[in-house]
Amino acid sequence: MTLYAVIFYVLAAIVVLSTLLAIIQRQVVNAVVCLIISFIATALLFYLLGAPFLAALEVIIYAGAIMVLFLFIVMTVKVESDEDAKAEIYRWLPAVVLAIISFIVGGVLIFEIPGSKISLNTGMASPATFGQFVFETYWFPVEIASFLLLIGLVGALYLGRRESRKESEDRP
Amino acid sequence: MIVPYGDMLLLAIILFLLGAVCSISRRNLLMILIGVEIMLNAAGLAFIAASLKWRLLDGQTFVLFIFAVAASEVAVGLALIVYSQRRTGSVNADQYNQMKG
Amino acid sequence: MKTYLFLLLFFPFVGGFILAVIGRYLPRRVAEWIACASVLGSLLMAALAFGSAGEKRYLLTLFDWIQVGDFSASMTVYYDPLAAIMALMVTFVSSLIHLYSVSFMRDDRDYVRYFCYMNLFVFSMLVITLADNLVFLYLGWEGVGFCSYILIGFWYSDVINATAGRKAFILTRIGDVAFGIAIALFFLILDQLSIFSINSKVASLSAGTATLLALLLFWGAMGKSAQLPLIVWLPDAMAGPTPVSALIHAATMVTAGAYLLMRLFPVIAVSSIAMVTIATVAAFTGLFAALAALGQKDIKRILAYSTISQVSYMFLGVGAGDVMGGMYHLLSHAFFKALLFLGAGCVIQALHEEHDIFKMGNLRQRLPAVFWLYLVGSVSLAAIPPFGGFFSKDRILLSTFSHPEPIYKFLALIAEIGAVITVFYTFRMFFVAFLERPPLQEDFRKKDLKIPKFMVWINSPLAILAIFAASLNFPEVFGGKSWLAHYLASIPGGIPLFPTSAPIERSMEIGSGLLNIAVLIAAYFLYRPEARFLGRPTPVVFRQRLEELLSSGFYLDRLYHVALVKPYQAIARTLWLKVDEGTVDDQFDATANIFRSFSFGLQLWTTGRLSTYLKMLLLGFTAIVSALALGWYYLR
Repeated sequence: MTLYAVIFYVLAAIVVLSTLLAIIQRQVVNAVVCLIISFIATALLFYLLGAPFLAALEVIIYAGAIMVLFLFIVMTVKVESDEDAKAEIYRWLPAVVLAIISFIVGGVLIFEIPGSKISLNTGMASPATFGQFVFETYWFPVEIASFLLLIGLVGALYLGRRESRKESEDRP
Repeated sequence: MIVPYGDMLLLAIILFLLGAVCSISRRNLLMILIGVEIMLNAAGLAFIAASLKWRLLDGQTFVLFIFAVAASEVAVGLALIVYSQRRTGSVNADQYNQMKG
Repeated sequence: MKTYLFLLLFFPFVGGFILAVIGRYLPRRVAEWIACASVLGSLLMAALAFGSAGEKRYLLTLFDWIQVGDFSASMTVYYDPLAAIMALMVTFVSSLIHLYSVSFMRDDRDYVRYFCYMNLFVFSMLVITLADNLVFLYLGWEGVGFCSYILIGFWYSDVINATAGRKAFILTRIGDVAFGIAIALFFLILDQLSIFSINSKVASLSAGTATLLALLLFWGAMGKSAQLPLIVWLPDAMAGPTPVSALIHAATMVTAGAYLLMRLFPVIAVSSIAMVTIATVAAFTGLFAALAALGQKDIKRILAYSTISQVSYMFLGVGAGDVMGGMYHLLSHAFFKALLFLGAGCVIQALHEEHDIFKMGNLRQRLPAVFWLYLVGSVSLAAIPPFGGFFSKDRILLSTFSHPEPIYKFLALIAEIGAVITVFYTFRMFFVAFLERPPLQEDFRKKDLKIPKFMVWINSPLAILAIFAASLNFPEVFGGKSWLAHYLASIPGGIPLFPTSAPIERSMEIGSGLLNIAVLIAAYFLYRPEARFLGRPTPVVFRQRLEELLSSGFYLDRLYHVALVKPYQAIARTLWLKVDEGTVDDQFDATANIFRSFSFGLQLWTTGRLSTYLKMLLLGFTAIVSALALGWYYLR
């Protein structure tokens, strides 16, 4: 049991625990905060697994931008908190059952992969190497990704605009 | 020497299923989206693990693109939630049942 | 000779054929002429054949019909004295009835159909009379059954008539099945279908086989001749026109059964069990029918039950081993029964379709000719000496009595009782219908009674024959010449198996003659014009219940209806509703319903809610992953 293994398991525990907390929360804000903790732990995990650039990106984009966006929307949108506890178990049960089944199946599958028991060596991909690789091999998907971001921007703008009175009268 | 490849994938599966459970059993639209985010994150973790195993950078590249896609998707999704909340006045997934039958 | 026989059969057939094809386009008189001429032509041929044949026998093939491997059915005729006499009688009576029909059906528009089928009927009957090959005979057999069905239900627009025709056909069919089986057995056992050959090979039959064959033939004959238990069609068959009843149900078709047994008598004579059975059934049928006739009010129904009773005497003769006696009675019965039916037809038409004898009366003054003719017929039927009916019936009673087995004495007693009742019902009918009556509500005396004279006078030959039929075979014990006995002596059974001794014969004949006359006088007292009870609307001699029992024929019709018709209809209804509609039709509905309920079940998934669809997604994901895992696991 090397040091890296210990770190891995600790971080894994933190991730799982905080994700679990996040999905159980009643309030959306609490869930988002738990999720931020989960993402930060995941970022550290990324770093451990040899992707420092992506670890940074995880913190910046996921935890930093996306979750904050969630918080903004939570503030804007009025959420009626009428989750009755009676229906709780009926809602959770099928999902949990299916999840357990999938987990067992997946576990069996992973178990059968040759070489799944061998510990991996450490590695590190420096940002420079990574960047070079991306722009050499996958430059086209990068352009498309940027186009995708543009589309998302335009869509969000259109959907989010305030409607004038004239438009709400035109609508059937 | 870190942990075996299988353990990493196991972690990814657990996270994925947690996200699926959240997405399915919550009624709030925002929580559904959060579940989706968790699932995407778990997929990314699996890619990083694979990348480490095969010693190729392609896996990490894909995680980059996952981030990009997740970001734009969240943006559009949240805009849709706001828009539909303005139209129908609720973010309860059960309220949107006009496609029944 | 061959020409005579061929033309004998050919004339009525071609007459019917012409009428069937172009009868509609011919003027009425021409069509009637064709019909009558064809039958008269047959009569001529029959007479010529009779004259030129003498006592010889002929076996002639007219036409090679079917030839398949070992089996050949050709249209062969066997002309022996029995067939000669029968052919003469059939053609003679048919000719008279055709001429009568011309006058009787003068107001009917369907005369073409009528005469066509009458001709075909005569053809079929002559086939039965002459045929040697059993399949050829079966052709005639079925032909008379079919023509009888058509002619009984002639006025089919009234559903009762059509039903009567159908009833006749079905019941005779039941008999025909047995006859067909018998034909097949004949071919199987004896390898022969020719009556002549069968009669010569009779020695090779075992008693059991002969019994079986004889009983099958008897069952077939019972259907056609309306003996118990297949009698119920004959009273209903009176729904047809009266000449049809006269021809079919007096002289020809009902005697065809007895005639068949007489033709195949050697086969029957081998088995004493069959003979006893035939005699017993015949005797009891005779008594049954006579009692039933006693309770009838419709003049034609009385005559119908009387026919059943008289035909049973012919069967009794066959059963007692006396074919000659049976034939003698067949001939005299043909004459007087046809006479009675035709006379009844005159009366019915004159009284505007009135059938109830208690509504008739006073016909002595109004229809004198019919009165005398009917008197002759009634006296013959009642077997009053010295008319023909007496000698023929007595001959049969003597033969039955002389049979050594004790059961025959009992049967002779039953037949004698039947004969006594015959006198009674005959004269009940005669006196009630023809003598003067006290006034009734519907008084026909005021109405006009006009019928064509021709229709009445055409019956006179029959009356003459009925009177003088006695001379055909006046018993020798009284000093007469038994011509018929001598003529038929050469056929099998022509000489009675157990001849009667002269003293017994004399005493029995005198005794029964006196008895009949006594009963006649008793009937006169009961039914004379001044009789008290005749004044009531529906006078009855017996109590209500008894009369109902008799008039419905001992409820035989109802028994058949309850025992056979109703279960059959119930089964048919069950099969229709439960099986055909229930199972077969509903199966398709059920199959469709499965799909419907399946769709209803699926409908529950389309809730329109997001959460449901997400659940489905996870379920699908789980299923796919599991399937992949299983596949991968098992392929490894």
